[in-house]
Amino acid sequence: MEKVNIFKGFKTRLKGEPDLSIIKLPKPSTIAVSALDIPFIRPRILVKDGDKVKIGSPLFYDKQNPDIQYLCPGAGVVQKIVFGARRRLHEVVVQLFEKEYHVEFESLTKKALGTADTQKIIDILIKGGLWQCLRRLPARDTADPKIQPPLIIVCLNENDMFAPHPGLYLENETSFFELGLSLLRKISKRVVVAARKNHLEKLAPLNTNITHVIPDLYPAWNPGAILFHIKKTADENNAWYVTGQHLLLMVKLILTGHYPIERIATVSRENDKKPHLLIRQGMPVKSLAPSLGKNDLITSGMFSGRIIAPDSHMGFFENTLNILKIKNEEEFLGFIRPGTAKTTVSNTFLSCLFDKPGQADCDTHGEERACINCACCHRICPNDLMPNFIMKALHGDDLEDALDMGLLDCCNCGLCSYTCPCKIELAHIFQDAMNAYHKDKE
Amino acid sequence: MKWLKRIFDKSEKHFSGSGKLAKAHALFDATKTVFFHPLRRTAFIPFLRDCLDLKRYMTFVLISLVPVTIFGIYNTGYRAGLGSGVELDLLDSFLHGSYYVIPIILVSYVVGLFWEILFAGIRKHKISEGFLVTGLLFPLTLPATIPLWQVALGISFGVIIGKEVFGGTGRNILNPALTARAFVYFSYPVSMSGEIWIPNLGAVDGMSGATPLAVAAQGNQSILAALSDMGFALKNLFWGFVPGSIGETSVFCIVLGMFFLLVTRIANFRIIAGGIAGLIFTAIVFYLFGEDPGSWIKAGPLYHLFAGSFLFGITFMATDPVSAPGTNEARWIFGFLIGFFTVTIRVANPAFVEGTMLAILFMNVFAPLLDHMVVKYKVSKRIPNV
Repeated sequence: MEKVNIFKGFKTRLKGEPDLSIIKLPKPSTIAVSALDIPFIRPRILVKDGDKVKIGSPLFYDKQNPDIQYLCPGAGVVQKIVFGARRRLHEVVVQLFEKEYHVEFESLTKKALGTADTQKIIDILIKGGLWQCLRRLPARDTADPKIQPPLIIVCLNENDMFAPHPGLYLENETSFFELGLSLLRKISKRVVVAARKNHLEKLAPLNTNITHVIPDLYPAWNPGAILFHIKKTADENNAWYVTGQHLLLMVKLILTGHYPIERIATVSRENDKKPHLLIRQGMPVKSLAPSLGKNDLITSGMFSGRIIAPDSHMGFFENTLNILKIKNEEEFLGFIRPGTAKTTVSNTFLSCLFDKPGQADCDTHGEERACINCACCHRICPNDLMPNFIMKALHGDDLEDALDMGLLDCCNCGLCSYTCPCKIELAHIFQDAMNAYHKDKE
Repeated sequence: MKWLKRIFDKSEKHFSGSGKLAKAHALFDATKTVFFHPLRRTAFIPFLRDCLDLKRYMTFVLISLVPVTIFGIYNTGYRAGLGSGVELDLLDSFLHGSYYVIPIILVSYVVGLFWEILFAGIRKHKISEGFLVTGLLFPLTLPATIPLWQVALGISFGVIIGKEVFGGTGRNILNPALTARAFVYFSYPVSMSGEIWIPNLGAVDGMSGATPLAVAAQGNQSILAALSDMGFALKNLFWGFVPGSIGETSVFCIVLGMFFLLVTRIANFRIIAGGIAGLIFTAIVFYLFGEDPGSWIKAGPLYHLFAGSFLFGITFMATDPVSAPGTNEARWIFGFLIGFFTVTIRVANPAFVEGTMLAILFMNVFAPLLDHMVVKYKVSKRIPNV
């Protein structure tokens, strides 16, 4: 096991860490496939209201690559197709039947999986709607099956701080996981498995498979951060990554011939220790978090997720919900209070003296100002970028300069925006620029 | 505090839209946000944000300036007493000092704020908190005897030319407070140098109003003996019981402020450490190779450190993040060169007895270049990703 040295990041603890027990949620009445968490997708819908679908029936595909289909995680009848502004597809909602049937895909035995050729496995994954679990850095778009990647990073932790614990979803699944790794080794010569340091104990059965140990600070487990710290040449920039849960799904698909629908998810909320949840893909948000108030903002990751509407459904890539409080009370003389309970990475509040988990709310805690060049963003960036200079280069329309300074090494962890005292939307600016560059290049 | 909130809510309509006082919206907004920290929900990633904002950031600099300001007021009163031939007690010194210093600070704030509001109103911006610091730093660099109209002129120049023409706080090249001081220094040299450091000067014979840096030894006397004779022993310089600009005299109070800024990480330690290292290094070089025993060449590093405004400048002026470099390596160089130029101007330039202001302004101009070089170097070390 190689140690990855990441020193910078978010070291403060936050309230609301999920408990390590698992409860299974009852079957919901509806289920949906969301298009909002799928990168760069231009969907073409294959069903209409009232159509009957099985588990594994395609609901829509990506016009840029018609092979990449998004399959239905439940059997029932298409209840509605939800569009947003400018007819952007939000989600396809399916009303579930009591008894559900599967679409049968080609399956392989464990032994056959070992000897099967790469193309066959790729075909099964594409047909089975799970190829898109493999994504390509730095833009995080769907991996191209025609290309051999320089390396594949298996991220046991998803992006959020409180994402499902790998020890839970890998419990008793060691052999599947090892099969998954052998499958990835067919696709790429090098496979990296990175685990958080304090998860190693619970991952003991897998220890021989873990190649890299990462420190326990957000966002060290982000594939962009891992890649930045292990890469030696520029060829490795286009590494692929897959999360541990998705890898298990891929193996299950190949072995059973059925589209796998179960995942482990977490819901985190301040002052609440919720258990891990065994859910189905695309469950309604309300069934995961029933007691939502109007002062709650739901996100699929407080640092790098998206805002989720309370009456929508979980996405294909999303296994975390963070519920953040909306502040309504303006604090009297807020800028000069000692702040014993404020969450901060600076040393300007008394709370920095105690090692207490901090509160999380979704307020910016200040107004936007011009950059004062304090370099707080550089002090926290896990990939040692200089966000203040990159932001200024982008403002000056100097994309070349921004790229030189490592714009594409940005792992979208959001910490630069988090720490900025001038409340500049750095992460948003970078994400926009990276997406625009990617679209331009395609 | 609901009654106060109600007053703000009720009067808001006059200051916005087509209200009668819509032009003063920036002032209204600034006042309101001081009392009630504004709420704004995050719209983009990350959805939670740090509690530190620019208001608190700049307020912390003001807090760090409290010791020097209070001591400055006291020392001005005490010196004024000595100048008139009486030894005032603590309270009297303080009251007497307030009589000189408070008007200077007030004029600086009122006139500066006027320009801030004017520019913020025209640009439809919010008033940036950076001015709070400029408005206090500038008076602290002045002698207590300065005419108030010069203060008003200076702060106007500092705010307009030093900052607003570039677009406001965050976009300026030079430190606005030092720009203001440089303007006054070169426009009204009589008010800024010579025997002007003690109010009521002239009533008592043998009471010099010069600052330690203006001291030069007579005959074969060494500089250290001359300083000692004039009452500028190291101990006095440390505690600050010497004539000088309002805020610069007390090393002790400056170090208190410095400690506060470093612990809260508002000021970057690299600039301060680099500056002190540069000053000590240069002072030692001059001490070893210089020849004139009666001049500041032979004063040695400790006197260079404690006398004049170097510590004040390196702590509160050079660490202004806007005009200092934004990369760590450049900050070391920036600080070091400020120390170097300070001593060099002090000992090698007959026109100016003090070099801190010029050294910092000079390095402010070079800060973007230092940043540029460091960024280019770092880019060359990266594994390219395009």
